Amino acid sequence: MPPLSAGRRVLLLAGGTEQAIDIEQAVAAGYTIVDLSDDWTPYIFAEHQAPDGRVLPNRYRRVFIGLANDKLDEDGEPLPAGSQNYLELYGIPPSLSVLRARFIEDGERSCDAPAPAQPPATKKAGDAAILAAAEHRLACEGLLGKDSRHKRGTMDDGLRQAIKRFQQKHMIYEGHGLQLRTREALGRPLVDNDHRAFARVLRERVVSAAGVVEDGSVEGTKSGAPTYVTVAGDRQAVRNLADELTDAALKQMGLTTPADTLAFFKRHPPSDFTRMRVAVKLPLLPEYYGPMMDIQFVIDRGDIWYDLPFDDKGTYAPQGRKKYPQFVLYVKHRGQRIPLARWRSTIGGWRAEQASDGYEYFRYKGSDVGPRVIRNVVAGPVWIAPASTPIRGLVKVKRVRNKREPVVNYDELGPGYLSAYGLVAGYLVTPGQAGRPDFDNGIRIHGSSEYLSMYSANGYSHGCHRLPNHLAIRLYSFVLKHRTVRLIGDQPADFARQFLKGDDAFEIRIPSRGYAFYLDPPLPVEVLEGDIKGAVKSPILTYVPKPGTRYPGPPPAAPNSPEARAGGVPDPVDTKKGAATPNEPEEKP
Amino acid sequence: MKWLVMLAGVALAALSALAASPTPGTPDAGVASDGGLSPTVRILIQTVPAVDRTVVSWGGKLLGVLRQRKPLIVERPRDSGPLDIVLRAQGYVPVHTRAYTFTDGKLYVRLTPVGEKKSLFGYRTEIPDAGAEAGSPLSPRADGGPPPN
Repeated sequence: MPPLSAGRRVLLLAGGTEQAIDIEQAVAAGYTIVDLSDDWTPYIFAEHQAPDGRVLPNRYRRVFIGLANDKLDEDGEPLPAGSQNYLELYGIPPSLSVLRARFIEDGERSCDAPAPAQPPATKKAGDAAILAAAEHRLACEGLLGKDSRHKRGTMDDGLRQAIKRFQQKHMIYEGHGLQLRTREALGRPLVDNDHRAFARVLRERVVSAAGVVEDGSVEGTKSGAPTYVTVAGDRQAVRNLADELTDAALKQMGLTTPADTLAFFKRHPPSDFTRMRVAVKLPLLPEYYGPMMDIQFVIDRGDIWYDLPFDDKGTYAPQGRKKYPQFVLYVKHRGQRIPLARWRSTIGGWRAEQASDGYEYFRYKGSDVGPRVIRNVVAGPVWIAPASTPIRGLVKVKRVRNKREPVVNYDELGPGYLSAYGLVAGYLVTPGQAGRPDFDNGIRIHGSSEYLSMYSANGYSHGCHRLPNHLAIRLYSFVLKHRTVRLIGDQPADFARQFLKGDDAFEIRIPSRGYAFYLDPPLPVEVLEGDIKGAVKSPILTYVPKPGTRYPGPPPAAPNSPEARAGGVPDPVDTKKGAATPNEPEEKP
Repeated sequence: MKWLVMLAGVALAALSALAASPTPGTPDAGVASDGGLSPTVRILIQTVPAVDRTVVSWGGKLLGVLRQRKPLIVERPRDSGPLDIVLRAQGYVPVHTRAYTFTDGKLYVRLTPVGEKKSLFGYRTEIPDAGAEAGSPLSPRADGGPPPN
């Protein structure tokens, strides 16, 4: 039998052996093909073909792959040799080759802190011991070096930066201190953390291959998982498919322990991961799965405050919330509305805005309420900053050809994991009636790397509903696989605008708005009003001077269109035709 | 001032239209002899208005000098990342801009005379007898704070 070509070969790992089999035979036998190749991307960044067979290239695909492989930086320029990106926390998991190198290196060393001679006698001594152990571990992992500007024994900026890098490496959503999950990870052997990273990386690939989204987030602490009634009349709980399928894959591949996985990586040189696909038999999916699913998004805005966030003396006035904004994904099945995922999200609040007099004011950036639809999903979306964006955030300093230069902050604009729209966005619109075009109020449900805006008590957006990047990727990949989609591809933009900062002009140049998919029929979204707190019962629409700031005169008129209340400009283009995005600026999401 | 900004915006949009990139997925000007895309792209850089001498730098590297109406043409490996460049001309506000290498492209960069700096967005209206700005009582990290464990 002739050897299988790389394009047809998949690996079957079973009973401690590895066997190459033909991909078609594997699929016919009921296996799911999980792609472990280094050039893997989530579905939204995969190479898609137009109906005529042409591949429609995605500008961000190369950057995504380069970031995952520690080859490129966020601009798509070469990363210095030996540098690591650690972007899993922001939605870009490392490639298998990167994980392999981590495993191989860590398998031959230990970063365990030396055990203290005796237990600390006081809490102060205990805290000092925790700090010292963290310093040791972070230095050993190469995250706290001589140039870290850290003074031993102090929780300073240098140490916080090292902790932040550690959290990025191990996907820990915490503030940049020694909190519980961070401490736990710091205390684990290196390869244990590496194995957890491998399981997370495999989870994204399995979830992508199976086209599922359920992750256990709908399970209540007391009530357990919600249930639904099957065709057979049984009551079934909503499963955590992300965990269930990943565990099944790990078991079949024989990679359930750090030692197993280290051995697997030792068996396979980096070149094997140029193209590696494995065949796994996954548990059957629930009966509500199909090529076309009746999906709905619901946003509950939670507790809402329209009052000014300061009193008449200019003192900050806290606006406590008990109920935070939530995103829920439902599927309708046999007359039931079944929740599949429930995640923390954001709504708008009081934000700084640049007025036409060159000064910043406060403005309430609300989130629309009521029924909406999503027609356009954009991978690698680009946010075109409107003139009202504070200029201080539009410039950053970057090393360009060995010289530090101020440049336009494209991190914010995108495409990229730090972009205001994150790695993927769905564009909410009010459907046009009687042949009129849709109304786009600038609100999106999108990924974001600002995870603290979702998980902190004081977190707000500019009106959009944010999700962590990796969840937004899973969500929209799931949607695109279970709805009728027309591929639009790259959307050239040719946008340019200059602004002044200091004595120099900076020119924003945007060649593309991202890579678009058009949902037909559109996806319904319902935004619930939430509970209005405080004395003010509707949004204040004017600019509000910042306390303590001197201004040249009264505030200029704020843009007085309905869309300006929440953010965004109306879309003059008939989005029903799939021309998703005009070359006009949008309010910050 | 507003109409000046608008006028500049219209002019810029028109120039940008001139510089439109080819539609992705269709061959651009850099088609290789075998029909595939060439390994390099060509980026044409010109200023509006054309001035005597404009120095174009890319970080510490001098990329070239524009003289009057003769554009600067830069050739770079295709899809090799963007070029953050600075254009400097005597009597004009320096401009920091970006060129892309995804396809061949044309970059028409508007230069503003130093004396007309106030026509650029972001120019701050002066406050007579202005005092120090006290800033906001709000935390600058309104989105910050640790999440619950």
